[in-house]
Amino acid sequence: MKWIPRFSLAFALIFSLTIGMASAQDAPFTVQAAEELRPAITALHTALYGTAPTFVDADADLLATNDRTVLPSGFIGVPPHFLPNAFFVTRSENAEKFVDFAVSPDGQQALIDAGFLPASVTIVDQTGKTVEIPQPVRRVITPYSIATYLVYGVGAADRLVAGGYLGARDPIGAARMEAIDPRFPELSQYVMTQREINVEEVAKLMPDVIFASARSAWLDAIAELGIPVVLFQGESPELLKESMLLVGQVFGPNAAVHAAAWVDYYDGIFSRVVEKTNDLTDSERPRVLLVGENALRVISGDMYQTDIIAAAGGQSVSAALTGFWNDVNLEQVVLWNPDVIVIVPYGSVTTETITGSAEWQVISAVQNGRVYKMPSWVAPWDAPVPDSALGIIWLAQKLFPDRVDLQCSAEAVTFFKTFYGYDLPQDDITAVCGAS
Amino acid sequence: MWRVIILRRVRAAAGVRMNVRDAIYIGLLSLPLVLIIASLMIGLYTISVENVTRALLSPVFPDLAAGLTQTEITLVQRIRLPRVLSAALIGATLASTGVAFQGIFKNPLVDSNLLGVTSGAGFGAALALLLGGTTFLVQGFAFGFGLLAVSLAYLGSRLYSSAPMIVLTLMGILIGSFFGSLTSLMKYVADPLNTLPAITFWLLGGLTGVTWDSLPILAVLTVLGGAFLWLVRWRLNILSLGDAEAATLGMNPNHLKLGIIVCATLMTAAAVAVGGVIGWIGLVIPHAGRIIVGPDHKRLIPASLALGASFLLVIDNISRTLFPTEVPLGILTGLIGVPLLIGLLRRNRTGW
Repeated sequence: MKWIPRFSLAFALIFSLTIGMASAQDAPFTVQAAEELRPAITALHTALYGTAPTFVDADADLLATNDRTVLPSGFIGVPPHFLPNAFFVTRSENAEKFVDFAVSPDGQQALIDAGFLPASVTIVDQTGKTVEIPQPVRRVITPYSIATYLVYGVGAADRLVAGGYLGARDPIGAARMEAIDPRFPELSQYVMTQREINVEEVAKLMPDVIFASARSAWLDAIAELGIPVVLFQGESPELLKESMLLVGQVFGPNAAVHAAAWVDYYDGIFSRVVEKTNDLTDSERPRVLLVGENALRVISGDMYQTDIIAAAGGQSVSAALTGFWNDVNLEQVVLWNPDVIVIVPYGSVTTETITGSAEWQVISAVQNGRVYKMPSWVAPWDAPVPDSALGIIWLAQKLFPDRVDLQCSAEAVTFFKTFYGYDLPQDDITAVCGAS
Repeated sequence: MWRVIILRRVRAAAGVRMNVRDAIYIGLLSLPLVLIIASLMIGLYTISVENVTRALLSPVFPDLAAGLTQTEITLVQRIRLPRVLSAALIGATLASTGVAFQGIFKNPLVDSNLLGVTSGAGFGAALALLLGGTTFLVQGFAFGFGLLAVSLAYLGSRLYSSAPMIVLTLMGILIGSFFGSLTSLMKYVADPLNTLPAITFWLLGGLTGVTWDSLPILAVLTVLGGAFLWLVRWRLNILSLGDAEAATLGMNPNHLKLGIIVCATLMTAAAVAVGGVIGWIGLVIPHAGRIIVGPDHKRLIPASLALGASFLLVIDNISRTLFPTEVPLGILTGLIGVPLLIGLLRRNRTGW
């Protein structure tokens, strides 16, 4: 099975040579960098243009640094990191192509050849299995539909060749996903779920690595292909953060920095809510019932949604249940008598399903008008995906409109710019988040 | 119990000695009524017997509602009552249609799903759930596809002129397994995170979401259908003898069979649409009925109506009160029913 990496290596070499020749006429640009960064930049420049770059001490077109204070004010996102502790700031568009190259698999390959990046990384996946992954990873498939969004979150979506997309089955989700990534129809055309995958299709796609759920039914068959498989299981904030960092490690320094930035962002949301709510006693915390595709199908304490409710400062009334979704009857809901009812973004249940039902009028959430449908853009904000940070923000805003100063629509714009590299249409997201 | 006592007095007065079998039969018929009242008292939310009674009677005597909370009134009138009534109607339907099918097909190992009604309904519900359907859509699809499956089996059997019952049975099995495969297809393409658990739960049966909205069609079809089966019950005895004997006795066996099939199918489709696939009752309650009252349909049909209703009432009470989570009825019917039936068989080691 050794032919697969070798084949892709040869392919990549031809590809990068073609790029190199075609871009020989690009306008030159100057580079400003500390002495210790210059050899790596020279290796990149030589790989792309065949010549050494022009280093200057001031007013350069391109700045290589690890000092975030030089970023222009109002900069949103994570600057492109070509090494774990160094990124580029472009001041002239002549240098943009070079920066794109530096964070691409080809740029990674040039830095590996010159000895600045390791030729392979070894990670321990979430089942405790050690996986060695040759670098760079050019082609990834994500049958674990949550991992697809982790790949977007670390800014490595250009390396996806196929994947499952949670929440993009319906026409609205699909249209939004295509706006984020025009390759979406092509990437989502394969049947890939936890239960089902076509092994020959996978072999044909020649992935360098596969991101799968630990509960996938076909792991033994895929193992025969000899392709590294990283297994995930993300039903808690800690596991979600860990899986994000794992994905970051797989794709090199730029992805690793993005992953760390997301973890910081996510932790930041938690602490911003805790700061405003930590003086509340347990009895003062809103008691939340989160219902699924049916108004009487509720979450268990084992599910990630319970953690989202806790992060937003509430408490799940159904936390004592175990397993996955649980069906209950209305008497049980009356016993819980939740202060707030949250409906998942997917499925046919609307707030009117509950508020318009005569039977539910005895529940205090209905009496107080606190029944909400959680919004989502593409991936559902209640699932263990990067977007769930927005689910926490939205819920905190609903639970504590007077205390928490988080704004769902503003945060969503920042989030999608930073982690999807996508400018959300401002009017649409305000409509999605609802009036604050 | 009072009915038994009164009847005993009446019969004693008439000088007729009532035997034990009659007493059991009369007791059995009054059992659902007792269980319905008892079931209304039971629930996860504790409401005293007095308050349940007052809540039940308050639509007629508004004064009784004084002192009751709105929660108690809603739970008794809008949650428990429709649920308990639908459990009784569905149990009675599944058991009595099982008896009718076993009688007309002269086969003790069939139930009303023989012609594919449950399989069709299961597919309809799975399809509706896949489309993100509401309760109304799921029930409508289940009912419609249940009837469609049986219609297809019947039309298929008309292609052959000879041995219609055998061909009908075969067609029913074929159509049933065809819809079974379609249901598997729905489960296969369903979203494993959300839609698949919903389909699986529906296919195991449950009355979790039952409200008054679900009840009218179920009540009309099962009460009318049950009355029809009750009225033709003695003719089932003749049908069990065979078509030639029935014709000799001046009956048109095919018309009656068609009537019973149409009636049982409508009843079962309505029951399955509301309660999901509740297995086992239609197959085994008829046998329990035979053990208790004997094989004569004149008593077996009323007995199975009562026994089916009582059994599902007990099962549903367990389902809704054992854990905070609902236990699917299809699981409990087998787990509790099998030991019960084996116990009955041990006590009555008689022939069929």
